[in-house]
Amino acid sequence: MSEFERIPSIKKAPDEEYYVPGHRTCGGCGPALCYRLVAKAAGPNTIFIGPTGCMYVANTSYGCGPWRVPWIHAQITNGGGVASGIETAYRMLIKKGKYTGEQPNVIVMAGDGGATDIGLQSLSGMLYRGHKVLFICYDNESYANTGIQVSPTTPYGAWTTFTPSGEVIPEGRKHFPKDNAKVVAHGHPYLKYVATGSIGYPVDLMNKVRKGLAQEGPAYLHLHAPCPKGWQFPPDKTIEMAKLAVQTGMFQLYEFENGQYTLSVQLKERKPVIEYMKHQKRFAHLKPEHIEKMQAFVDAKCAEVGITVPVVAAAQ
Amino acid sequence: MGKVRRISGCVAAAEAVRLADVDVISSYPIRPYTGIMSELARMIADGRLDAELVYAEGEHAQLSIVYGASAAGARTFTGSSGVGVTFAFEVYSPISGERLPVQMAIGDRTLDPPGDFGSEHTDAECCRDQGWIQGWASTPQEVLDMHLIYYRVGEDPKVMLPQYVCQDGYFVTHILGDVQVPDEAQVKEFLPPYKNHHILDPKKPQIIGPQIEPCMGPPQQYQRKQAFDNINEVLIKAHDDFARIFGRRYDPFLEEFMTDDAEVVIFGQGAHMNTAKAVAARLRNLGDKVGVVRLRTFRPFPTDEILKRMSRFKAVGVVDNSAQFGISGGAGVLFSEVRTALYDVGDKVKTVGFVGGLGGEMITHDEFLRMFRKLQEVAKTGKVEKRAYWLPFEL
Ligand SMILES: Cc1ncc(C[n+]2csc(CCOP(=O)(O)OP(=O)(O)O)c2C)c(N)n1
Ligand code: SF4
Ligand SMILES: [Mg+2]
Repeated sequence: MSEFERIPSIKKAPDEEYYVPGHRTCGGCGPALCYRLVAKAAGPNTIFIGPTGCMYVANTSYGCGPWRVPWIHAQITNGGGVASGIETAYRMLIKKGKYTGEQPNVIVMAGDGGATDIGLQSLSGMLYRGHKVLFICYDNESYANTGIQVSPTTPYGAWTTFTPSGEVIPEGRKHFPKDNAKVVAHGHPYLKYVATGSIGYPVDLMNKVRKGLAQEGPAYLHLHAPCPKGWQFPPDKTIEMAKLAVQTGMFQLYEFENGQYTLSVQLKERKPVIEYMKHQKRFAHLKPEHIEKMQAFVDAKCAEVGITVPVVAAAQ
Repeated sequence: MGKVRRISGCVAAAEAVRLADVDVISSYPIRPYTGIMSELARMIADGRLDAELVYAEGEHAQLSIVYGASAAGARTFTGSSGVGVTFAFEVYSPISGERLPVQMAIGDRTLDPPGDFGSEHTDAECCRDQGWIQGWASTPQEVLDMHLIYYRVGEDPKVMLPQYVCQDGYFVTHILGDVQVPDEAQVKEFLPPYKNHHILDPKKPQIIGPQIEPCMGPPQQYQRKQAFDNINEVLIKAHDDFARIFGRRYDPFLEEFMTDDAEVVIFGQGAHMNTAKAVAARLRNLGDKVGVVRLRTFRPFPTDEILKRMSRFKAVGVVDNSAQFGISGGAGVLFSEVRTALYDVGDKVKTVGFVGGLGGEMITHDEFLRMFRKLQEVAKTGKVEKRAYWLPFEL
């Protein structure tokens, strides 16, 4: 890994923006906030790859887009492949004296569909070949752009248009979600840096971007990105949802290097999952037994990465 | 002036890629095109080619990799066969739509079933309308030459479109022929370096492939069509320069064989036409006025050339080496398109469709003989009793 400049605080973050106004994402869109932070941290010598999803469609309507750096559309299926080609091309053009300039940062901004489901093979191919690419999944926990359908990262019990709650299937979504950071972390020999991030913790997120870009090979970031439209909470509550997800352990913030998890925030205690779920209408149909199942699942996920603090309900 | 080597169609394609100084190649194995990539891998390992061979995880990835690499300014190459060609389908239109002059070799193979590795044009013809230049070579020499010519045409600023260079599986990919391999200086004179003003470069930020509104669709598609309309002019010029520099002249659209006073001709593309020529030559010895027309450029389909040059025949038999079920005319896509091209001459030229060589079978001398005889009968009686024949069952 090469040296990189850490951002010490939000006040000392660079002023320059590379993801600028002029798009039509929903008010309070978590993925759009992700983009802004990622672009700020990465700086001008960057090429973005945007697989189909909200961050393609809502950003590039009318033939223009909000980036001050180059951006290219990829299919929802092939963010990793397109990035592999771009990274290889620059490496070869520089080697053959056909391009004078530094190797650019190559960053894929894929949704959970584009990263964990239909685009997973492309991601894995890119990681295993060792391309120097930062692959980011902005996880809004659904196929949002097609109108909120279940994806592998949709939480247990969440309503989507493909997982409605009804008499026969009261909880709606029956499966527990896929954990993509763990899917990729083991088994790709050149992948030395895997981390999770959250827009509720922007300085941490930006530093993870920089650290990912400083790797000699690929890096994978999985970012929690609340989606007011899909999760059905008011748009001014996006950051609150992001923070509550971490505070309840619904989303665990860590870095994974050399086979070790390093936690990014030190929680003193965890809030019960209901504190997070109760704000989002996508969970409104759930019964107490479903919430219990969710709590047990989250407890186990937390234990996996070393979050051992007790769950403490707020005093009434 | 280069040297003559006895090589297969696969090796000839690899030689062209080496001579074109390609930067990024993406591979995935499937017979029969695989030999192209093995040869390129060997060249890279031996230091004869300075390119990176990216081992894609499938054909969809192969095309995705060259899409990205071409958009970053690299000259690129990929290839496939059979179900590999169809597995990559999603990415063909984005490549031509973003006007990236990627080149892909197709060594023809049947789709499944039958999973017998045999050659059929069905695979490559599936992707005929995706905005790629497409043509068939019939010998290893023509393979090498067509790869070089297509890079030049596809990368022309008036065109900027990707290209499929097709060769019949086994009949060309695996059979050796004497090939004049040109030297690098000749190729440099013929093929300028790849330059696209529309690439990803942090020094000149651009957005490639944004969403558009419906009203912006027609002009975008029309531009792609206009680029396609420019191909013929560029193709003709490239063939002229090619003849001047390399000393080999091809007709860019249609190769005619013994057609001067021919009354009936067989029309087709690829290596089966070599057999058709042998049969035509034999029939000429017997005094029959027969010939062969071999299509070299399939996309853009040379409608006007066909209309102009083929309306002098009494009967045209179109050979399709492909399975296209339920297609208009009842044979294959070549038959359907030749009939459309000849529509304006009216009933003067009779057309008959023949589907042959499926599953990688030879189209035998005897089968071509039967086709010629059928065409002579049609020419003589002026009647087409049956429009299309699937060989060997129906003729
Ligand atoms: C091959 C293919 N299948 C389906 C679609 C339809 N589609 C467009 S956007 C989208 C949702 C993408 O979901 P995700 O990757 O999670 O991104 P999000 O929209 O949630 O930001 C889908 C399925 C497509 N574009 N391509
Ligand atoms: S649906 Fe969700 S992810 Fe998509 S633009 Fe709206 S808030 Fe953002
Ligand atoms: Mg999503």
